[in-house]
Amino acid sequence: MNDGIAGKLAKQFINSKITPLLMLASLLVGIMATFMTPREEEPQIVVPMVDLYIPYPGATPAEVELRVAKPVERTLTEIPGVDYVYSTSMPDFAVVTVRYKVGEDAEKSMVKLWSTLMKNMDKMPSGVQFPLMKKVSIDDVPVLNLTFWSKTKDPFELRKTAVEVADELKKIKNIGDVEIKGGLKRQVKIVLNKEKLRQFNVSPLQIARQVQIANSQMTAGDFKQMNQEIIVRSGKFLESASDVGNIVVGIYGASPVYLRDVASVVDGPEEVSNYNFFGWAAAAPKGSVSGEYPAVTLTVAKRQGSDASKLADKVLAKVDELKKSSIPAGVTVSETRNYGATATDKVSTLLEHLLMAVVAVTVVVGFFLGWRGALVVLASVPITFALTLLIYYLLDYSLNRVTLFALIFVTGIVVDDSIIIAENIHRHFAMKRQPKLQAAITAINEVGNPTILATFTVIAAVLPMVFVSGLMGPYMSPMPIGASLAMIFSLLVALIATPWLSFRLLKTEEGHQDEYDITKTGYYKIFNTILTPFIESSFKRWVAFGVVGLMLVGAIALVPLKAVQMKMLPFDNKNEFQVIVDMPEGTALEQTARVTKEISAYLKTVPEVSSYQYYVGTNAPINFNGLVRHYYMRQAKNMGDIQVNLVPKDERKAQSHDIAKKVRAGVQQIAMRYNANAKIVEIPPGPPVLSTLVAEIYGPSQEQQIALAKQVKKVFEETPGVVDVDWMVEADQKVYNLVVNKERAAFRGVSAEQIAQTLRMSLAGMDVGVLHTDKELEPVTIQVRLPQSDRTSLQDLSGIFVQSQGMGTLTTRLRAGEMIPLSELVKVEEKIQDKSIYRKDLRRVVYVTADVAGATESPVYAMLDMDKKIEKLKVPGGYSVSPLYTASPKSDEKLAMKWDGEWQITFEVFRDLGTAFAVVLVIIYLLIIGWFQSFKTPLIMMIAIPLSLVGIIPGHLLHGAFFTATSMIGMIALAGIMVRNSVLLIDFIQIRRAEGAGLKQAVIESAAVRTRPIILTSGAVVIGSIVMLFDPIFQGLAISLIWGGVLSTILTLVVVPIVYYIVEKKSAKL
Amino acid sequence: MSMDIKKRFILFLMAAPLLVAGCSKQEQGSKKSQSQESPPVAVESITIRTAVEVGGAEVLLVPASAIFHKGELAGIFVVGADNRLSVRWISTGRSMNNDLVVLGGLDKGEIVVGTYSPALQEGVTVIKRVTAEDQTNE
Repeated sequence: MNDGIAGKLAKQFINSKITPLLMLASLLVGIMATFMTPREEEPQIVVPMVDLYIPYPGATPAEVELRVAKPVERTLTEIPGVDYVYSTSMPDFAVVTVRYKVGEDAEKSMVKLWSTLMKNMDKMPSGVQFPLMKKVSIDDVPVLNLTFWSKTKDPFELRKTAVEVADELKKIKNIGDVEIKGGLKRQVKIVLNKEKLRQFNVSPLQIARQVQIANSQMTAGDFKQMNQEIIVRSGKFLESASDVGNIVVGIYGASPVYLRDVASVVDGPEEVSNYNFFGWAAAAPKGSVSGEYPAVTLTVAKRQGSDASKLADKVLAKVDELKKSSIPAGVTVSETRNYGATATDKVSTLLEHLLMAVVAVTVVVGFFLGWRGALVVLASVPITFALTLLIYYLLDYSLNRVTLFALIFVTGIVVDDSIIIAENIHRHFAMKRQPKLQAAITAINEVGNPTILATFTVIAAVLPMVFVSGLMGPYMSPMPIGASLAMIFSLLVALIATPWLSFRLLKTEEGHQDEYDITKTGYYKIFNTILTPFIESSFKRWVAFGVVGLMLVGAIALVPLKAVQMKMLPFDNKNEFQVIVDMPEGTALEQTARVTKEISAYLKTVPEVSSYQYYVGTNAPINFNGLVRHYYMRQAKNMGDIQVNLVPKDERKAQSHDIAKKVRAGVQQIAMRYNANAKIVEIPPGPPVLSTLVAEIYGPSQEQQIALAKQVKKVFEETPGVVDVDWMVEADQKVYNLVVNKERAAFRGVSAEQIAQTLRMSLAGMDVGVLHTDKELEPVTIQVRLPQSDRTSLQDLSGIFVQSQGMGTLTTRLRAGEMIPLSELVKVEEKIQDKSIYRKDLRRVVYVTADVAGATESPVYAMLDMDKKIEKLKVPGGYSVSPLYTASPKSDEKLAMKWDGEWQITFEVFRDLGTAFAVVLVIIYLLIIGWFQSFKTPLIMMIAIPLSLVGIIPGHLLHGAFFTATSMIGMIALAGIMVRNSVLLIDFIQIRRAEGAGLKQAVIESAAVRTRPIILTSGAVVIGSIVMLFDPIFQGLAISLIWGGVLSTILTLVVVPIVYYIVEKKSAKL
Repeated sequence: MSMDIKKRFILFLMAAPLLVAGCSKQEQGSKKSQSQESPPVAVESITIRTAVEVGGAEVLLVPASAIFHKGELAGIFVVGADNRLSVRWISTGRSMNNDLVVLGGLDKGEIVVGTYSPALQEGVTVIKRVTAEDQTNE
C-alpha cells in the first residue's frame, strides 16, 4: 500500500527524537501564552461609535432638525463604512450618533468623520456652534468602581477625597479613564443680591465682565539692562474668595463698589446637583451598618488590550495604601464593581470546565482503549490547546468567555483525530498481523487520509460562522477561528505526536487471539443482527426509513407548535442589575431622588441583594449595555439610576434573571405611585440593543407618529409577558417663554443678547472663570448666580435689571448705565416644551420600547402576538399598519411600523448562520466529492445531517430550554462531525470492497469496525459538552451536541450503511 | 421692606385654614399607627403647611428647625403612612419667619417631624403626636 501524507508524516516522526521536544516546546509556549494573554469577561468588540454634539442655541427642535441634524446626517451617511446614523434634535442642540460597521478601524473612522464634518461646516447656519465629537468605545466602560461613603462626611468632602485618590491612581500603568460620579465640587459662588445691585446701580453682566477682566495675568515682555533680561509681568490671578470679593465692579457716587458689597462670595460646595447614596442591603456581609450614606463613586477604566484583573488588583492595592494617607478615617471605600474579579472568575470557571471536559473524555476513551490509550489521547489535548492559546495571544485575542468557550466546544472534537489514530493503531496491534512499527504505520495509513478529510469537513462546518455580521459578529468570530485552529493543531498532533506516543505506550500483547477474525467480535455480531434484516428485506427497510422520517417530521413540528421556542440568547447569571427611573420631564431633582430612594428601600429588602447605590441627577457608571444605550447621557433632573449588587452566584440559588423578574412588580408598584417609569435593566448576554422590543414608528408627521405610538404603547401594555413599556416621547413640560419686546428694548438701549445673558446668569448661573490655586486638583469655577430663594418664580425676575447701553446704540436717548428692570422688557408666554425629534437613517422615528419577561421570554412570540392587535389599530386614512420585520418602510407618506431591538440582531444572526449552514453543506459536499470522486456518495453521507434534528429539537424540549444562537452553532458543528462519521464508515466499506469483500459483507464489517471509533468520538463530543449544560448561555449548544450527537450517531450507524447498500446494490450488480 | 412683612403676615393668615385641614388628617393617621409593632418613639410632627404667594402660586412651608444639613444637602424626616420615619432630601428657597419654602422633595399634606433631633433614625416607627400649630407668629 502506498503511503499517504499521513503515513509519510508518521514515518518521519514516529521514531524521531524531535517529536518529544516539539511536544514539550508546544506545551511551554502554551503555558506562557495563558499567562500573557489579557483576561476579560466580554470579548473585545470594536464598534466605532461617535457622538456629535452640535449646539444651536435658541433653536427649537424642528429648527435644529431641519438646519443641523438633517444636513449633517445626509453628509455623514456618505462616508463609507457607516452603518447607522441616529440623531436627536432637542431644543438648543442636536446629538448625532454615527455607528460604523463592526470591526471598522476606530481611528480611521474618526478621521473620515471629522474631515466630512469640516467640509460641510460652512453650510451650517450661523449660530450653530462648533461640534463636539466624542468617540464611544468599549474601553470607556469602567472595570472597577470604588464607592467612597461615610457616615460623617458630606458629598463635598467625599468628592475631595475621591479626587485625591483618583490623582494617585492615574499613576498606575495601563489605567484608562478615572472618573468621579456624584459629590459636589468646590466652587466660588457669587450670590447676587438683587436689592444691593439695584441700590449700587450694578448689573449682573457688569459683574461677570469685571471678574473676567480681573482674573488675568500675563507676561508683558522684558527689559534689557546691564546684559540681563528682566521679565515684566502684569496682572494677578484670582486666588481666593476674598480676592474675588475685592474686585471693584462699579462706581457709586464717588466711591468704588466692591463685589462683596453687592453679592456674597462663598467658597464651598457647589449647589446640589445630584444625589448619590450607598447602602448595604439584606444580604450584606455581617457587621455592615444599616442605613444609607452619601457616596461618591470613583470609576476606573482600563486601556485597550490590558488585563482587567491585573489592573483591578493594582488599583485595590494602591487604595489600601492610600487608606493610611489620603483617605481620612470615617470614609469607607467599597468595591461596587470589579470586572477584573468577575473576569478571573469567569475565566477560571471556564478553564475548570475545560479541564473537566478533558478528564471526562479521557475516562470515556480509557473505558474503550484501556488506560494506555487514554493516556495517548489525554496527552494530545494539552498540546492542541497550548498551540491554540498561543495563536490567540498572537492574534491579540483576550481570554474571555467567547474564546474560552470555543476551546470547551472543541474539546470533544479535537480528541477525535487522536482517538481515531490511536484506536486504529490499537486495533492493528491487537490483530498482530504485522510487526509493531509496520502495524502502526499501516494503521495510520488506513485512517490517516479520511481523518484529514474529516477534520476539514468539521472546519468547513464551523468556519463560515466567521461571516456572522453585525454586533453579534465579534461575539461569534473567536469561536470558528479558535475551533478551526484547534482542529488543525489536533490533526497535526494526531499525525505527529499520537503515533509516537501510541508506539511507545500501547502494548501489542493486548490481543487475546492469534488470528484476528472480525466476524467473532461483539460489534460484528450486533450489526449483523441489526443490519441484515434491513439489507435483505426491502419492506423492513422502508418501514425503518418511514419511522426515521416520522421522527424527523415530529421533531421539526415541535418548533411551530411552540414546544421549543426560539430566542437569540438566554440571560446569563450575573451579580448585578440596574433599575432605571424616569420621572416625567420637568420633575424636580429632589422628587426624583425621593422616588429613587423609595424604590431602593424596597430593593434593600430583597434577600439576594447585598448592596445598592443610587444616582440621581448623574448617571451610574455605565456598562457595555449602557454604552450602546447612551446611559451616560442620563444626567437630567428627572432621571435616576439604581445599581443593585447581588451576592456572588455561588451563594444564592436564584439566577439573576429570576431575581430581576421577581422584583419588577414591587419596583413598578412604587414607581406607578409617583407616575414614574421604572425599568429593570439586566446585562444582556450578547450584544446590547436599545431595548429588547423596539417598535419604530414612521409617518408623515410627528403628531401622527406620536398618536400611533400611543396606541402601540397601549397594545404593548396589554400584552402579557411584555414589561417595562416606555416610549421616547417626553412628557409635557411647562415652559415660560420670555419674549423680548423689541421696540421697548431698543428704546431703552438694551439688546436682546443682553437680556438673554442676564437671564441665563441669574437662573442657570454662569461660570466666569476659575480660581487659580495650585492646591486643588479639580478646577474651582467662579460662578455668578442668583440665590435659589430668588429664582423660584416669575415674580423673582422682576427684580433683575439690565443696563442700558445708552446713546451708543443710537436708538435711545437714555444715558448709558441706566438700570432697566427686565420685567419691563419681556412678555411671558406660557407653553409646552417642544418634543425632541428622533431620526434614524434620515427619517423621523418615534420609538416605543419594552422588555419581555414572564409569560414570554422570547421577543419573537410577543411580536407575533402583538402584530394582530396592531394591525387592527385605527389610523387616520383608514388603512391598517402591519408591522415590518426586516426593512424600514419605503416611504414616509403612510404611517408604518418596524420591529427592531433584539429582533434585528436575532434576525441577522439566524440569517447569517443559516447562510453559513448552506455554505457549509456545499463545502462539505465538494470536499467529499473531491475525495471519493463520486456525486452520489457525498449525498449518502450527508443524510446524517438532518438526522441530528431528531435529537436536537426534542432535546431542547426535554431541558425546557430555548433554541438559541448557540444551539444553532451546535447544529452546524454537528453537521461536520456527523459527516465525518459517515466518511469513516464509507471509506472503510470502499477499502474492504477494494480488497474484494462482498457489498453486504463490507457494509456490515464496516459498521462493526467503525462503531468503536465513531462511538468514541461522538461520545467524546457528548461527554465533553455535558459541563456546558450548566452554563445559561452555552446550554443550547450543549443540548444540540449531546442530544443531536447521541441520536444521529445511532441513526447514522444504521441508516447510512443501509442507504449505501441500496444505492450501491444496483451498481454492484451491473 | 416693611411691605414684605405685611405680605407675609397676610400669607400666614391665609395659610391658617389649610393648617387646620391638615391637622384633622393627622388624627386619622395616628389612629392607624396603634397597630404598629416595635417600641415606637414619640415625635412631634406637623403637616406641611402651604402658603399662597403674591402671584397666586402656592408654596410649601416647613419649620427651619425641622431641617438638618449634611454639607450642602438639606434633609427632613418624613413620617410615612406606615408611621415610619424616612429621610427626605429637599431643596429650600426663601425663609418666611421661622419657616422655609420647600422647592422640591415634599408633597402637600405630608407629615414631617417638626423639630430635628440627631437621635432620630430612618426606619424607626413613631407615634405621631401632633402639636397644636405654633401660632405665635400671627
